[in-house]
Amino acid sequence: MTIDSRIVLSADKLSKAVDGPDGRLVILEDVGLTVERGASVAIVGASGSGKTTLLGLLAGLDRPSGGSVSLAGQRLDTLDEEARARLRRRLVGFVFQSFHLLPALNAEENVMLPLELEGRDDARERAAAVLADVGLHKRLHHYPHQLSGGEQQRVALARAFVHEPEVLFADEPTGNLDQRTGAAITDLLFALNRERSTTLVLVTHDLTLAARCARTIRLRDGRVVEGDA
Amino acid sequence: MKPLVFAARSLRREFRHGELATLAAALVLAVAALAAVGTLANRVERAILASASELLGGDLGVSARRSALPDAFTTQAADIGLRSSRIVEFSSVVFAGEASQFSEVRAVDASFPLRGRFAALDAQGREFTAQAPPPGQVFADRAVLVALGRKVGEALQIGGRDLAIAGEIVSAPGGAVFQFAPTVLMNLDDAQASGLLGIGSRASHRVLVAGSEAQVNRYAEWARANLPPAARVSTVEDAQQNLRTSFERGESFLRLAALLAALLSGIAVALAAQRFARRKTEDVALLRCLGASRREIVLALVLELALLAVPACLVGMALGLGMQEAAFAFARDMLPGEAPSMPWGPAASAFAIGLAVLFGFALPPLLRLRDVEPMRVFRQDMEGRTRRFDVLYLLPFVVGAVLILVESGSARLAGVLGGGLIGVALATLLVTLLLLRVLRAGGKTLRGALRFGLANLVRRRALTLVQVGALALSLTALDLLAVIGPSLLDRWRADLPDDTPNYFVLNVQPEQRDDFEKRLTDLHATRVSMLPLAAGKLVAINGQTPRASDYADEQRAGNWIEGEVRVSWSEALPESNRVILGQWHGAENATPQLSVDKSWAEMFALKLGDTMTLRFGDAEITATVASVREIDWDSFRVNFFMMLDPQHAKELPHSLIASFHVPAGTSLSALSREMTNLSLIDIQSILDRVRDIIERVSSAATWVLGFSLAAGLLVLLAALAATADERRFEIALLRTLGANRRQLTTAVLGEFAALGLLAGLVAALGAAGTGIALARTVFRLPDYLPPVGPLAVVAILSAIVVMLAGLAGTRRIARTPPMLVLRRGT
Ligand SMILES: Nc1ncnc2c1ncn2[C@@H]1O[C@H](COP(=O)(O)OP(=O)(O)OP(=O)(O)O)[C@@H](O)[C@H]1O
Ligand SMILES: [Mg+2]
Repeated sequence: MTIDSRIVLSADKLSKAVDGPDGRLVILEDVGLTVERGASVAIVGASGSGKTTLLGLLAGLDRPSGGSVSLAGQRLDTLDEEARARLRRRLVGFVFQSFHLLPALNAEENVMLPLELEGRDDARERAAAVLADVGLHKRLHHYPHQLSGGEQQRVALARAFVHEPEVLFADEPTGNLDQRTGAAITDLLFALNRERSTTLVLVTHDLTLAARCARTIRLRDGRVVEGDA
Repeated sequence: MKPLVFAARSLRREFRHGELATLAAALVLAVAALAAVGTLANRVERAILASASELLGGDLGVSARRSALPDAFTTQAADIGLRSSRIVEFSSVVFAGEASQFSEVRAVDASFPLRGRFAALDAQGREFTAQAPPPGQVFADRAVLVALGRKVGEALQIGGRDLAIAGEIVSAPGGAVFQFAPTVLMNLDDAQASGLLGIGSRASHRVLVAGSEAQVNRYAEWARANLPPAARVSTVEDAQQNLRTSFERGESFLRLAALLAALLSGIAVALAAQRFARRKTEDVALLRCLGASRREIVLALVLELALLAVPACLVGMALGLGMQEAAFAFARDMLPGEAPSMPWGPAASAFAIGLAVLFGFALPPLLRLRDVEPMRVFRQDMEGRTRRFDVLYLLPFVVGAVLILVESGSARLAGVLGGGLIGVALATLLVTLLLLRVLRAGGKTLRGALRFGLANLVRRRALTLVQVGALALSLTALDLLAVIGPSLLDRWRADLPDDTPNYFVLNVQPEQRDDFEKRLTDLHATRVSMLPLAAGKLVAINGQTPRASDYADEQRAGNWIEGEVRVSWSEALPESNRVILGQWHGAENATPQLSVDKSWAEMFALKLGDTMTLRFGDAEITATVASVREIDWDSFRVNFFMMLDPQHAKELPHSLIASFHVPAGTSLSALSREMTNLSLIDIQSILDRVRDIIERVSSAATWVLGFSLAAGLLVLLAALAATADERRFEIALLRTLGANRRQLTTAVLGEFAALGLLAGLVAALGAAGTGIALARTVFRLPDYLPPVGPLAVVAILSAIVVMLAGLAGTRRIARTPPMLVLRRGT
């Protein structure tokens, strides 16, 4: 297998099945895809089609039942949880559908976390700068429960790209937000994609957001039905 | 909505999720620990009481001075189904040819001994289990035989009758530990026939009974109602002053152990219940949104808790009884007497306590929700909710207080322990608030994972306070069990060191003193002490002739007013005496000074400055009460209720009383042969007996302490694992952000180390303080000091254990892919 240095993310024959209360349930089957550095990809599909599951597998947050994922030339399935964590810290940013901020930390501290995990000294300044980028320079010391949903999502976004990851995964980043706020978040994402050539992999129901992406991958019942392989 | 169906369904659902399973496990464990320790302590306590019965010679005694008790006292016992025995005690001179010996004579009927073993030596010096002496026969202490120069099989005379010596007494149940003359045991009919018990004799009469607890209680009730004047009922508990303390201490240890086990269990259940309540909060809010009425919700909650708790408590009870049975099998050998049957009370009370603690801690936060608008719960800003006082909040405290009172069985023990724990709780609160303040201010300078861990503490202020508090209280309980308890036991054992005086010699004449002391030196006697002894009569208190009827304890006061009082004097305060009021008189005094024992001061209602007039033959002395002493009666030293100052007393007619220790096996027969007027009292066998009791009681107590400790540790670890489990979501999230294991470990360690160190430190200090207070008030070991080294070690160890428990809880999470945890949501 040749390693194309332009390919930052690829999946091959990826499948995921779980043993549920009503027997074995196949969530993803035979998914293959490649994403080039600096690309923007939208994953779309009906609810329950397996988008979140796929995103989790691509980002190395979960183990596949079959197939493989390569991230920046590294086969994820050969790594243990510890090594995958190390890889994520370097290469991956993740925005969750439901924010998942740490309630014990304020906005600034939440954003500082990835930098601190890398042991960087400029964590506070960087975090403040990035929060200013997302328009939250006045809310640095507020705790998640003191922020609105949109503000929380902006903090989550800041946290996801503060350490300048290779790939930013976002699961319905605008799903919980109104149109205007959603648009602002979208702008932020694409500015990032443009200026820092961060690869974007988004899951979205939002057709305008999907349309702004260079590529769209459509899932149905756990299989890729449109887009490239 | 049908509450019962709903409750059963949600129970089943939640159990599958494992949340209720932890609560059930905590409850099972707590009830098991409680039932096991409670039952074990109860059985050991009863075994100890049974051995106290052996010392009293029965389960209950009724005694009267001078006149025999009416026959009703024996016929009533027979009616109830009790065995009974009559005993008469009096002082008399025993003769054999030319020789004579002043003795305490105990005349017993054929049922003697009701309890315990009467051991004697035969003519060949072989020990055998003896029966009550038949008419014409006696048993005598070695001192009597030596003084009379008689052997077993020969005869002696009491009240003009010749009696055959059937054996030398080794141990006879029911005797006083310390008496001024050696014992002779004779047949009651002989004593009556000899006229020794006629009118005017100063004999004391006793009826002892033995039977089941219920029968004895019935009899005690009847006896108290029909008590003739100047008679009294003595129970096993007040059997013998010297040994009483031993039994009381043993009991207190067991109660302490049981109480601490109860406390630890209570804390574990309380923590689990609170966790349950927090998780239930959203469910309740949701049900409110869906239109359930408050009444329905409350009913469903109570039913669900009950459906969970009743089976869990039953399982815990069964488990506890099983564990207890196993432990008892091991402890069995350390206990005297027959194995006491299994009591059901402690297990039943463990069951009740389990329920009470669960409801006490789980219900208030849930019921509180009835007034909260559901939306606020979902918005998570519960903090901002109006705080107002709710009587419900008092429920856990009431539960705790009742728990301590019921389990301790002693207001004093409960008071000291309760006070100590409240102190620990308050200190923890203060120190934790201080730490949180420091963390808030200085925490920003910390880095990364560590800061994250510590920030958690600050952010969850209320939870942190609860956790540190619970931890500090459990660690205090563990410190008390692991360090304070055993060291108190050691201190107790050291009460009777090997060189405790084992001989008393009475009647040393002042002119014999030098000769006598020289002989003691030749015998390698150590710890020799000599005190003068003058026997006199109490003739006036504050110038008035005392009357027994003026005093509350008429019988006891009458004894001293009519009888002889023995007085001594010395310049220095005797060992094992403590002045509790006034000042020790010392050597130089203008007027005669007197120091009285505390019980005397109480009996005669004496104050400092009161005067007492005593007559010794022709001499009379009126002395002012200058001090009140507390005497340690366990010390096996010669002690006196009244001590005069030497300057004014030294001319009184007196003899000397000596106590000393000689190595085991030393024969003093030469001494008693050559100084024939001396009476020697060998208390080695009594000392051995008391040591044996202390040894047994304390090893049984050690067992129960250890058992409570193990139960407590289990409970604590379970509680900690549950706390660690709460952090799983955060850990998964950190994992998503790429935190490696070391960083996760740092975060968790930082948080738990802070929790553990804080709690460990406060607990060590609290346990030390509580230990000192317990030693002073409950165990009567005033000079006890807690061991600092072991306490420090335990404090550090407990911090480490807390950290390890935190780590153990997070390890598993660190190994699973984070997606699984995150899907579950917060
Ligand atoms: N751990 C699991 N156990 C059982 N089923 C699961 C599990 N994880 C996901 N599923 C199922 O797999 C399917 C895909 O889930 P996924 O969350 O990926 O869907 P989605 O496309 O993100 O949907 P949505 O747009 O609603 O977020 C769903 O039917 C879901 O119920
Ligand atoms: Mg999804």
